Amino acid sequence: MKRHTVTALAAGAAIAALALTGCSGNSADSSSGSKGAPTLAAGKKVTITFAEAMASGALKTELEKVTQEFESKNPNITVELQAQPDYGTLKTKIDAAVTAGTPPTIAQVYGDWAAAYAQSEVLEPLTDYAAADPSATDGLYKGIKNSLYIDKTLYMWPFNASALVTFYNPDLLKAAGVEAPKTWDDFATVAKAVSKDGVVALPIDPGSSSGPAGGTTIFELMAQANGTPVFKDDGTPQFDSPDVVKALQTLVDLKKAGAVQTGTNYPGETALGAQKGVFDISTSTSFYYDQQAVGGKFQLAVAPVPAAADGTRINQINGTNVTMFNKASDDQKAAAWKYMQFLTEAETQSEWAQATGYLPVNPKTLDLPDMKDYIAKNPYVTFASEDLANSSATPPYAWVEEASGDLAAALQSALAGNASPADALKDAQAKAAAAQKAAQ
Amino acid sequence: MRSSKWGTLRSPVAYLFVAPALLIFLVFSIGPTVYTFALSLFKWNKFNPALSKFIGLENYKTVFTGTGNPSFFDTLGVSFYYVAGMVIGGTALGLLLAVLLARGGRALASARTMVFLPHVTPVVATSLVWVWIFNPQFGLANLVVHATGHHNIDFLGDSRWAMPAVLIYSLWHELGFVTVVFLGGLTTISTELAEAAKLDGANRWQEFWFVTFPQLRPVVTLVLLIESVASLQAFTQFFVMTKGGPGYATSTLGFQLYQQAFVFSNTGYAAALAVVLFVITAALSILQLRLQGDRPAKAPRPSTFSRTTRTASTRSQSSSL
Amino acid sequence: MTRRRIRRGRGILIAVAMIVGLAFLAPLLWVVITSLATRGDVYRFPPAFWPDWQWSNYSAAWSAAPWLRYFANTVFIGACTVALVLATSVLAGFAFARMRFAGRNALFITVLCVMMVPQTVLIIPNYVIASRLHLLDTYWIQILPFGASVFGIFLLRQFFISIPTEIFDAAQLDGAGPLRMAFQIAGPLARPSLILVGLNTFMGSWNAFVWPYIMTTTDSIRPIEVGLNAFYGVNGTDWTTLSAAVVFTTIPIVILFLFLQKYFVTGLYSTSGAVR
Repeated sequence: MKRHTVTALAAGAAIAALALTGCSGNSADSSSGSKGAPTLAAGKKVTITFAEAMASGALKTELEKVTQEFESKNPNITVELQAQPDYGTLKTKIDAAVTAGTPPTIAQVYGDWAAAYAQSEVLEPLTDYAAADPSATDGLYKGIKNSLYIDKTLYMWPFNASALVTFYNPDLLKAAGVEAPKTWDDFATVAKAVSKDGVVALPIDPGSSSGPAGGTTIFELMAQANGTPVFKDDGTPQFDSPDVVKALQTLVDLKKAGAVQTGTNYPGETALGAQKGVFDISTSTSFYYDQQAVGGKFQLAVAPVPAAADGTRINQINGTNVTMFNKASDDQKAAAWKYMQFLTEAETQSEWAQATGYLPVNPKTLDLPDMKDYIAKNPYVTFASEDLANSSATPPYAWVEEASGDLAAALQSALAGNASPADALKDAQAKAAAAQKAAQ
Repeated sequence: MRSSKWGTLRSPVAYLFVAPALLIFLVFSIGPTVYTFALSLFKWNKFNPALSKFIGLENYKTVFTGTGNPSFFDTLGVSFYYVAGMVIGGTALGLLLAVLLARGGRALASARTMVFLPHVTPVVATSLVWVWIFNPQFGLANLVVHATGHHNIDFLGDSRWAMPAVLIYSLWHELGFVTVVFLGGLTTISTELAEAAKLDGANRWQEFWFVTFPQLRPVVTLVLLIESVASLQAFTQFFVMTKGGPGYATSTLGFQLYQQAFVFSNTGYAAALAVVLFVITAALSILQLRLQGDRPAKAPRPSTFSRTTRTASTRSQSSSL
Repeated sequence: MTRRRIRRGRGILIAVAMIVGLAFLAPLLWVVITSLATRGDVYRFPPAFWPDWQWSNYSAAWSAAPWLRYFANTVFIGACTVALVLATSVLAGFAFARMRFAGRNALFITVLCVMMVPQTVLIIPNYVIASRLHLLDTYWIQILPFGASVFGIFLLRQFFISIPTEIFDAAQLDGAGPLRMAFQIAGPLARPSLILVGLNTFMGSWNAFVWPYIMTTTDSIRPIEVGLNAFYGVNGTDWTTLSAAVVFTTIPIVILFLFLQKYFVTGLYSTSGAVR
């Protein structure tokens, strides 16, 4: 009796499993866009959903404001903002929704997330949509434009972009008799000079195997400044190349000298505010958070991120793009495309940048008069935007996330003194290469 | 007494009675368990199941050749580190605390409450408490480190200290439970043997080791098994405190299941790991069930008794020489 | 031993026991102290041990997330789960204890086997199944899977077996059917067991994290520990506000425990008792 029960259960479950596989998957050809992009009939009412992570402070209020402007210009379209508290949660939410077969219309995504979705054929290719106005695509910064393609197909549209800058406490620099560093070699010297009496030059968050953090990005910049970026353009990791090892060794030496400290949850910002840290090298969007942390205790200063030894500016495009899921109805897709384009118009970007500290993705924004006024008051926007024009984002491939986690783990391990930079990076390279192989 | 009609009532209603529970188990436990086996045979695409590929035992090959990322053997090692720490530390310390707190009186009763209290608190909330205690710059734990003359330690960020830190938290949370189970065991110990041993001149330690402990052995074994099964499944504190890091230093099998399935989207591989975890847990649970079904330990025969006391008295005699 | 030696020995014992007890309480006391500290001052080393009595941290924490909603969700889910568990445990426990039917032993062993499957193993397949059945992000997926408990069935069966048969004989003479037997006669007698199972279930529900975290994404139906984790994600640098949130999400269960201590502990005693 018992054996029969078990066999029956097993058979039943197996059948159920196959049934669930077969009857509810997306078929590969469910997307529209066979002959050009869908258009929205005038006056037709439609609601779209936008999963995003602009959940607090100026980011939240500004996105709501911009969305309201769009809705007043397009009264038949309603945009439902689904804000998530952070990017980890955003990814979980999008993943869950896609798995359940009920994805949002559009979502804020990183390139590697989009690569995974594209591989699973749940994204709407935007080639036909963008073909209607080629100047919009061509007018974007090269680095940003490249980040929109996965396997040579256009799957994303820009939304927010930032580059790294150096926030610092000028009083502490003056007290130590040094100036803001211009190259990474300068930085090493200056950092050691200011780190005394309980003050640390640069607190960083090295990240972990679960994901990279600010410290990982700084490390990536240093490696690139030495001559070798951690990822090739096609996403191949180069973690164990000598330039990368040298960068890690520099960080380890700085830590030993007491100039670098590790922590989590934006340690640079916290230390600046407590006046126990001198530099916070992070994205331009940290501007408001850093100002809040500093709270008027001193005048927060902003400088470009250190350059390579020969003066070449090295930076990284951070930020996200927007992607469209192919399960939406044609009307929703048309409406969503309109919204996506609105977000990248010069006027919108001007408003957005001024309120949030993101940099305009549309170069035309810098010519607008109110933007020019803003730049006069906040000169960092100029050099940050210049960096934006000449940098690129992390290559959009599905394994990059896991590989970045491995890199962060190596950084963490070396900084904690548990492995030599060479060993840690060799290990990370092996793991990253395996991840790349598994995903291809 | 021979059971009346009620003990042997044949009624089809019985099926209706067990149906709700069985239905829930079938849909949410048994069915999914079988489904896990099925999933583990696929390279499963959770975003678009139609694209999933049947790959037979490939996932298991990846598991057992250690070619996963992280390697299964690393994960197993991490799990073993944690389980060993919880089981050995928990049992030893729990026994110690039980013996300490076994007497009556208000003071000891309140001490017992204080020891048990952490166990009822939610894991998320108390994990956060300890994240703050382990804070590399401002945490209480570093106060202790400083007192011993060392530099601040980034407990949760240092691959040597992360697991010990999580173990300290987990033991703090779990010891109340273990202690109470041992206290219960202690109440079933007959005091006659202990008193007889004392009369023979046995000191506290001898009384415990030669009289009390042997009678507690079944309870100890039970605790060992319960704790092994429970700690194999520990997840929440790893999620809140370290997210499996630094590196994969605190990425136990239980945590890897989550990471592979929900972060890296390797659902099929995660399912294979789940099957392995299930087999290990099932083996331990069967052991546990066997133990609870065993007949109660026989009362020691007089010869055993005199042997025990004679051992005690010879030891006390030899120590006085 | 002289009486003075006994008293001194006992005095030392009490002292040691109290130190141990306080050591266990210390982290909880520490979070309360931190929750009352001033935001800037808490980033100090060595830390200050006397609270600043900044009750404003509590109001700041309370207004920063939909705690009332989280509490309501937790209580609702807990109550539904307890009701379901008690019902299924009484029914199944009664059937296994007092009724005879074909396959009774086989089914009971099946129930015991369920205990062997760790929850972590079940999350993946349940997630995939629930997503296809559109049960994700609902109250149901947080209640139903926990509506039957092996522990509950085991305990109730144990208890029902121990009830003398005369009671059932008398009831049967009165014309009671099986349903009445189970709920109106056997059930009320099992009060201690029911309280134990109910308390255990409620506590498990309150502390639930992994399952609701994975199965739900909407704030309005999430329980308290998931809410606390999300709060930590947003306010990870603000330890004073975070500590306040930790305190007020934990206090209810602590109070519940302090009032119902003996029920919590009885069950654990019986675990060890079952071995002998």
